Amino acid sequence: MNDLKAIWLTAKTDDLPTSVEMLRLVKKFRNQKLLKKWGIIIAALASMALMVFTVFSYKSTMITTRIGELMAISACVILASTNIKSLKRFYDLNDCSNKEFIAFLEQTRQNQLYYYKKTQVWGMGLSSAGLLLYMYESVYRDMMLFIIIYSFSVAWILFLWLYLRPRNFKKQTIKLNKTLDKLEKISNQIK
Amino acid sequence: MDFEEIYSLYSPQIFRVCMGYVNDHDQAKDLTQETFISVWKNLAGFRNQSKISTWIFRIATNNCLRAIEKSKRVVITELPFHLPEAPQEESQEEKLAFLYKAISELEEIERIIISLVLEDLPQAEIADIVGLSTGNTRVKIHRIKEKLAIKFKDHGQFE
Repeated sequence: MNDLKAIWLTAKTDDLPTSVEMLRLVKKFRNQKLLKKWGIIIAALASMALMVFTVFSYKSTMITTRIGELMAISACVILASTNIKSLKRFYDLNDCSNKEFIAFLEQTRQNQLYYYKKTQVWGMGLSSAGLLLYMYESVYRDMMLFIIIYSFSVAWILFLWLYLRPRNFKKQTIKLNKTLDKLEKISNQIK
Repeated sequence: MDFEEIYSLYSPQIFRVCMGYVNDHDQAKDLTQETFISVWKNLAGFRNQSKISTWIFRIATNNCLRAIEKSKRVVITELPFHLPEAPQEESQEEKLAFLYKAISELEEIERIIISLVLEDLPQAEIADIVGLSTGNTRVKIHRIKEKLAIKFKDHGQFE
Protein backbone atom coordinates (compact mmCIF):
# COMPACT_ATOMS: atom_id res chain seq x y z
CA MET A 1 0.00 0.00 0.00
CA ASN A 2 2.86 2.36 0.76
CA ASP A 3 4.18 1.75 -2.77
CA LEU A 4 0.80 2.76 -4.16
CA LYS A 5 0.70 5.88 -1.98
CA ALA A 6 4.14 6.87 -3.25
CA ILE A 7 3.00 6.44 -6.87
CA TRP A 8 -0.28 8.25 -6.14
CA LEU A 9 1.59 11.29 -4.87
CA THR A 10 3.65 11.60 -8.06
CA ALA A 11 0.60 13.02 -9.90
CA LYS A 12 1.49 16.46 -11.23
CA THR A 13 -0.69 19.18 -9.78
CA ASP A 14 1.37 22.21 -10.82
CA ASP A 15 -0.92 23.11 -13.74
CA LEU A 16 -3.85 23.81 -11.40
CA PRO A 17 -4.85 27.49 -11.25
CA THR A 18 -3.17 29.53 -8.52
CA SER A 19 -5.36 30.70 -5.66
CA VAL A 20 -5.54 34.19 -7.22
CA GLU A 21 -6.64 32.77 -10.59
CA MET A 22 -9.11 30.52 -8.79
CA LEU A 23 -10.67 33.46 -6.96
CA ARG A 24 -11.15 35.25 -10.28
CA LEU A 25 -12.75 32.13 -11.75
CA VAL A 26 -14.98 31.58 -8.74
CA LYS A 27 -16.43 35.08 -8.90
CA LYS A 28 -17.21 34.64 -12.58
CA PHE A 29 -19.18 31.44 -12.11
CA ARG A 30 -21.10 32.53 -9.06
CA ASN A 31 -24.63 31.11 -8.93
CA GLN A 32 -24.67 30.47 -12.67
CA LYS A 33 -26.11 26.97 -12.19
CA LEU A 34 -29.26 28.10 -10.44
CA LEU A 35 -29.78 31.17 -12.61
CA LYS A 36 -32.22 29.37 -14.93
CA LYS A 37 -34.43 28.30 -12.02
CA TRP A 38 -34.44 31.85 -10.64
CA GLY A 39 -35.33 33.12 -14.14
CA ILE A 40 -38.35 30.80 -14.35
CA ILE A 41 -39.53 31.79 -10.85
CA ILE A 42 -39.24 35.51 -11.59
CA ALA A 43 -41.01 35.12 -14.97
CA ALA A 44 -43.84 33.10 -13.37
CA LEU A 45 -44.25 35.59 -10.52
CA ALA A 46 -44.21 38.53 -12.96
CA SER A 47 -46.89 36.90 -15.15
CA MET A 48 -48.93 36.18 -12.04
CA ALA A 49 -48.65 39.81 -10.90
CA LEU A 50 -49.69 40.97 -14.38
CA MET A 51 -52.73 38.66 -14.34
CA VAL A 52 -53.76 39.80 -10.85
CA PHE A 53 -53.39 43.41 -11.98
CA THR A 54 -55.63 42.64 -14.99
CA VAL A 55 -58.26 41.04 -12.77
CA PHE A 56 -58.57 44.25 -10.74
CA SER A 57 -58.11 46.82 -13.50
CA TYR A 58 -60.18 45.25 -16.27
CA LYS A 59 -63.78 44.87 -15.19
CA SER A 60 -65.02 41.97 -17.24
CA THR A 61 -68.67 41.07 -17.42
CA MET A 62 -68.34 37.44 -18.45
CA ILE A 63 -67.62 34.51 -16.18
CA THR A 64 -65.40 32.89 -18.86
CA THR A 65 -62.89 35.74 -18.51
CA ARG A 66 -62.75 35.38 -14.73
CA ILE A 67 -62.30 31.59 -14.97
CA GLY A 68 -59.61 32.08 -17.64
CA GLU A 69 -57.75 34.53 -15.41
CA LEU A 70 -57.94 32.19 -12.44
CA MET A 71 -56.67 29.27 -14.51
CA ALA A 72 -53.72 31.27 -15.84
CA ILE A 73 -52.85 32.47 -12.32
CA SER A 74 -53.03 28.88 -11.04
CA ALA A 75 -50.66 27.75 -13.82
CA CYS A 76 -48.18 30.46 -12.75
CA VAL A 77 -48.50 29.40 -9.10
CA ILE A 78 -47.76 25.77 -10.04
CA LEU A 79 -44.70 26.80 -12.08
CA ALA A 80 -43.32 29.13 -9.41
CA SER A 81 -43.94 26.79 -6.46
CA THR A 82 -42.40 23.76 -8.22
CA ASN A 83 -39.23 25.72 -8.93
CA ILE A 84 -39.08 27.34 -5.47
CA LYS A 85 -39.35 23.88 -3.87
CA SER A 86 -36.56 22.58 -6.06
CA LEU A 87 -34.35 25.63 -5.35
CA LYS A 88 -34.83 25.17 -1.62
CA ARG A 89 -33.62 21.58 -1.91
CA PHE A 90 -30.47 22.79 -3.71
CA TYR A 91 -29.71 25.40 -1.06
CA ASP A 92 -30.27 22.92 1.77
CA LEU A 93 -27.65 20.70 0.18
CA ASN A 94 -24.55 22.09 1.78
CA ASP A 95 -22.78 19.43 3.77
CA CYS A 96 -23.89 15.89 3.05
CA SER A 97 -22.27 12.50 2.62
CA ASN A 98 -22.12 10.62 -0.70
CA LYS A 99 -24.98 8.41 0.52
CA GLU A 100 -27.22 11.41 1.26
CA PHE A 101 -26.17 13.08 -1.99
CA ILE A 102 -27.09 10.05 -4.11
CA ALA A 103 -30.43 9.88 -2.28
CA PHE A 104 -30.92 13.59 -3.05
CA LEU A 105 -30.11 13.07 -6.74
CA GLU A 106 -32.47 10.09 -6.94
CA GLN A 107 -35.25 12.11 -5.31
CA THR A 108 -34.60 15.09 -7.61
CA ARG A 109 -34.77 12.92 -10.72
CA GLN A 110 -37.94 11.22 -9.42
CA ASN A 111 -39.43 14.67 -8.87
CA GLN A 112 -38.49 15.66 -12.41
CA LEU A 113 -40.13 12.54 -13.76
CA TYR A 114 -43.25 13.38 -11.75
CA TYR A 115 -43.06 16.94 -13.08
CA TYR A 116 -43.07 15.76 -16.69
CA LYS A 117 -45.82 13.20 -16.07
CA LYS A 118 -48.19 15.20 -13.87
CA THR A 119 -47.29 18.79 -12.96
CA GLN A 120 -46.49 19.84 -16.51
CA VAL A 121 -49.82 18.41 -17.76
CA TRP A 122 -51.69 20.39 -15.11
CA GLY A 123 -49.76 23.59 -15.77
CA MET A 124 -50.14 23.35 -19.53
CA GLY A 125 -53.79 22.28 -19.26
CA LEU A 126 -54.68 25.19 -17.02
CA SER A 127 -52.86 27.78 -19.14
CA SER A 128 -54.27 26.42 -22.44
CA ALA A 129 -57.86 26.33 -21.17
CA GLY A 130 -57.33 29.64 -19.37
CA LEU A 131 -56.14 31.31 -22.57
CA LEU A 132 -59.10 30.06 -24.61
CA LEU A 133 -61.62 31.16 -21.97
CA TYR A 134 -59.94 34.51 -21.31
CA MET A 135 -59.96 35.59 -24.95
CA TYR A 136 -63.62 34.80 -25.54
CA GLU A 137 -65.01 38.06 -24.14
CA SER A 138 -62.79 40.24 -26.36
CA VAL A 139 -63.56 38.51 -29.65
CA TYR A 140 -67.01 36.91 -29.48
CA ARG A 141 -68.80 39.85 -31.08
CA ASP A 142 -66.71 39.78 -34.27
CA MET A 143 -67.03 36.40 -35.97
CA MET A 144 -64.06 36.96 -38.29
CA LEU A 145 -61.76 38.00 -35.47
CA PHE A 146 -63.06 35.11 -33.38
CA ILE A 147 -62.20 32.58 -36.10
CA ILE A 148 -58.73 34.03 -36.72
CA ILE A 149 -57.72 34.33 -33.06
CA TYR A 150 -59.12 30.94 -32.07
CA SER A 151 -57.66 29.14 -35.12
CA PHE A 152 -54.19 30.41 -34.23
CA SER A 153 -54.61 29.65 -30.54
CA VAL A 154 -56.00 26.16 -31.08
CA ALA A 155 -53.27 25.42 -33.67
CA TRP A 156 -50.61 26.55 -31.19
CA ILE A 157 -52.13 24.49 -28.36
CA LEU A 158 -52.37 21.41 -30.60
CA PHE A 159 -48.75 21.88 -31.67
CA LEU A 160 -47.76 22.13 -27.99
CA TRP A 161 -49.73 19.05 -26.90
CA LEU A 162 -49.33 16.81 -29.90
CA TYR A 163 -45.77 17.56 -30.98
CA LEU A 164 -43.66 19.59 -28.57
CA ARG A 165 -44.68 17.97 -25.30
CA PRO A 166 -44.59 14.30 -26.44
CA ARG A 167 -41.20 14.87 -28.10
CA ASN A 168 -39.78 16.59 -25.05
CA PHE A 169 -41.40 14.10 -22.69
CA LYS A 170 -39.92 11.09 -24.49
CA LYS A 171 -36.44 12.60 -24.60
CA GLN A 172 -36.48 13.64 -20.95
CA THR A 173 -37.95 10.42 -19.56
CA ILE A 174 -35.41 8.25 -21.41
CA LYS A 175 -32.60 10.42 -20.04
CA LEU A 176 -34.03 10.49 -16.52
CA ASN A 177 -34.67 6.75 -16.40
CA LYS A 178 -31.09 6.09 -17.53
CA THR A 179 -29.76 8.38 -14.80
CA LEU A 180 -32.02 6.76 -12.20
CA ASP A 181 -30.67 3.32 -13.16
CA LYS A 182 -27.09 4.53 -12.71
CA LEU A 183 -27.94 6.20 -9.39
CA GLU A 184 -29.59 3.02 -8.13
CA LYS A 185 -26.45 1.07 -9.00
CA ILE A 186 -24.32 3.50 -6.98
CA SER A 187 -26.82 3.62 -4.13
CA ASN A 188 -26.55 -0.20 -3.87
CA GLN A 189 -22.80 0.21 -3.41
CA ILE A 190 -23.32 2.30 -0.26
CA LYS A 191 -25.65 -0.14 1.51
CA MET B 1 -8.80 29.73 7.52
CA ASP B 2 -9.50 31.88 4.46
CA PHE B 3 -10.29 30.68 0.96
CA GLU B 4 -6.79 31.14 -0.42
CA GLU B 5 -5.25 29.09 2.39
CA ILE B 6 -7.85 26.37 1.94
CA TYR B 7 -7.26 26.30 -1.80
CA SER B 8 -3.48 26.08 -1.51
CA LEU B 9 -3.74 23.33 1.09
CA TYR B 10 -6.43 21.15 -0.45
CA SER B 11 -6.41 21.68 -4.23
CA PRO B 12 -3.64 19.12 -4.97
CA GLN B 13 -5.45 16.52 -2.83
CA ILE B 14 -8.80 17.25 -4.42
CA PHE B 15 -7.30 17.07 -7.90
CA ARG B 16 -5.76 13.66 -7.17
CA VAL B 17 -9.04 12.32 -5.76
CA CYS B 18 -10.97 13.58 -8.83
CA MET B 19 -8.30 12.11 -11.09
CA GLY B 20 -8.67 8.77 -9.29
CA TYR B 21 -12.39 8.89 -9.95
CA VAL B 22 -12.52 10.06 -13.57
CA ASN B 23 -9.05 9.10 -14.90
CA ASP B 24 -9.13 12.11 -17.21
CA HIS B 25 -6.85 15.07 -16.58
CA ASP B 26 -9.11 17.82 -18.00
CA GLN B 27 -12.25 16.49 -16.34
CA ALA B 28 -10.42 16.18 -13.03
CA LYS B 29 -9.28 19.79 -13.35
CA ASP B 30 -12.87 20.90 -14.08
CA LEU B 31 -14.17 18.95 -11.08
CA THR B 32 -11.49 20.49 -8.85
CA GLN B 33 -12.55 23.96 -10.00
CA GLU B 34 -16.24 23.16 -9.45
CA THR B 35 -15.40 21.93 -5.95
CA PHE B 36 -13.70 25.19 -5.03
CA ILE B 37 -16.49 27.25 -6.55
CA SER B 38 -18.85 25.44 -4.11
CA VAL B 39 -16.36 25.86 -1.26
CA TRP B 40 -16.11 29.59 -1.92
CA LYS B 41 -19.88 30.02 -2.13
CA ASN B 42 -20.59 28.09 1.06
CA LEU B 43 -17.57 28.95 3.19
CA ALA B 44 -19.39 31.68 5.10
CA GLY B 45 -22.20 29.27 5.96
CA PHE B 46 -19.86 26.45 7.00
CA ARG B 47 -20.80 25.79 10.62
CA ASN B 48 -17.93 23.52 11.68
CA GLN B 49 -20.34 20.65 12.20
CA SER B 50 -17.72 18.49 10.57
CA LYS B 51 -13.99 18.97 9.96
CA ILE B 52 -13.26 21.34 7.11
CA SER B 53 -11.38 18.58 5.27
CA THR B 54 -14.43 16.28 5.55
CA TRP B 55 -16.63 19.05 4.21
CA ILE B 56 -14.35 19.74 1.23
CA PHE B 57 -13.88 16.06 0.37
CA ARG B 58 -17.65 15.58 0.58
CA ILE B 59 -18.20 18.39 -1.93
CA ALA B 60 -15.49 17.02 -4.23
CA THR B 61 -16.68 13.42 -4.17
CA ASN B 62 -20.32 14.46 -4.59
CA ASN B 63 -19.24 16.48 -7.63
CA CYS B 64 -17.52 13.37 -8.98
CA LEU B 65 -20.68 11.32 -8.46
CA ARG B 66 -22.66 14.01 -10.22
CA ALA B 67 -20.44 13.53 -13.29
CA ILE B 68 -22.49 10.43 -14.19
CA GLU B 69 -25.33 12.76 -15.11
CA LYS B 70 -23.22 14.56 -17.66
CA SER B 71 -22.84 13.10 -21.11
CA LYS B 72 -19.10 12.71 -20.85
CA ARG B 73 -18.37 9.19 -19.77
CA VAL B 74 -15.85 8.32 -17.14
CA VAL B 75 -12.84 7.18 -19.10
CA ILE B 76 -11.32 3.81 -18.58
CA THR B 77 -8.24 4.49 -20.66
CA GLU B 78 -6.16 1.94 -22.35
CA LEU B 79 -2.62 1.97 -21.18
CA PRO B 80 -0.58 4.34 -23.31
CA PHE B 81 2.22 1.83 -23.59
CA HIS B 82 2.72 -1.74 -24.72
CA LEU B 83 2.63 -4.19 -21.86
CA PRO B 84 5.83 -6.21 -21.88
CA GLU B 85 5.79 -10.02 -21.66
CA ALA B 86 8.43 -10.03 -18.98
CA PRO B 87 8.27 -7.26 -16.39
CA GLN B 88 10.60 -4.39 -17.12
CA GLU B 89 11.35 -1.30 -15.15
CA GLU B 90 8.49 1.16 -15.64
CA SER B 91 8.71 4.91 -15.45
CA GLN B 92 6.87 6.81 -12.72
CA GLU B 93 4.30 8.04 -15.26
CA GLU B 94 3.63 4.51 -16.46
CA LYS B 95 3.21 3.28 -12.90
CA LEU B 96 0.81 6.14 -12.17
CA ALA B 97 -1.12 5.47 -15.40
CA PHE B 98 -1.50 1.84 -14.41
CA LEU B 99 -2.67 2.81 -10.92
CA TYR B 100 -5.31 5.13 -12.42
CA LYS B 101 -6.41 2.42 -14.84
CA ALA B 102 -6.70 -0.14 -12.06
CA ILE B 103 -8.77 2.29 -9.97
CA SER B 104 -10.97 3.27 -12.91
CA GLU B 105 -12.02 -0.37 -13.28
CA LEU B 106 -13.47 -0.36 -9.74
CA GLU B 107 -17.06 0.59 -8.90
CA GLU B 108 -17.82 4.28 -8.30
CA ILE B 109 -17.87 4.23 -4.48
CA GLU B 110 -14.81 1.98 -4.38
CA ARG B 111 -12.96 4.54 -6.52
CA ILE B 112 -13.84 7.27 -4.05
CA ILE B 113 -12.86 5.18 -1.02
CA ILE B 114 -9.47 4.09 -2.38
CA SER B 115 -8.63 7.64 -3.50
CA LEU B 116 -9.30 8.87 0.03
CA VAL B 117 -7.24 6.02 1.48
CA LEU B 118 -4.35 6.98 -0.80
CA GLU B 119 -4.70 10.55 0.46
CA ASP B 120 -4.08 9.13 3.94
CA LEU B 121 -7.45 10.08 5.40
CA PRO B 122 -8.42 8.21 8.58
CA GLN B 123 -11.05 5.48 8.13
CA ALA B 124 -13.52 7.31 10.38
CA GLU B 125 -13.30 10.40 8.16
CA ILE B 126 -13.71 8.31 4.99
CA ALA B 127 -16.80 6.72 6.57
CA ASP B 128 -18.14 10.21 7.30
CA ILE B 129 -17.53 11.39 3.75
CA VAL B 130 -19.11 8.38 2.05
CA GLY B 131 -21.91 7.84 4.57
CA LEU B 132 -21.03 4.31 5.65
CA SER B 133 -20.37 2.93 9.12
CA THR B 134 -16.70 2.70 10.13
CA GLY B 135 -16.92 -1.10 10.22
CA ASN B 136 -18.40 -1.28 6.76
CA THR B 137 -15.76 1.14 5.47
CA ARG B 138 -12.99 -1.03 6.92
CA VAL B 139 -14.40 -4.11 5.15
CA LYS B 140 -14.72 -2.22 1.88
CA ILE B 141 -11.16 -0.89 2.08
CA HIS B 142 -9.88 -4.42 2.68
CA ARG B 143 -11.79 -5.73 -0.37
CA ILE B 144 -10.60 -2.89 -2.60
CA LYS B 145 -7.00 -3.51 -1.58
CA GLU B 146 -7.44 -7.17 -2.48
CA LYS B 147 -8.89 -6.26 -5.87
CA LEU B 148 -6.01 -3.89 -6.57
CA ALA B 149 -3.45 -6.43 -5.43
CA ILE B 150 -4.82 -8.93 -7.98
CA LYS B 151 -4.64 -6.33 -10.75
CA PHE B 152 -1.06 -5.44 -9.89
CA LYS B 153 -0.08 -9.10 -9.60
CA ASP B 154 -1.57 -9.78 -13.04
CA HIS B 155 0.37 -6.83 -14.35
CA GLY B 156 3.51 -8.39 -12.92
CA GLN B 157 4.60 -5.35 -10.97
CA PHE B 158 4.90 -4.27 -7.37
CA GLU B 159 4.49 -7.73 -5.88
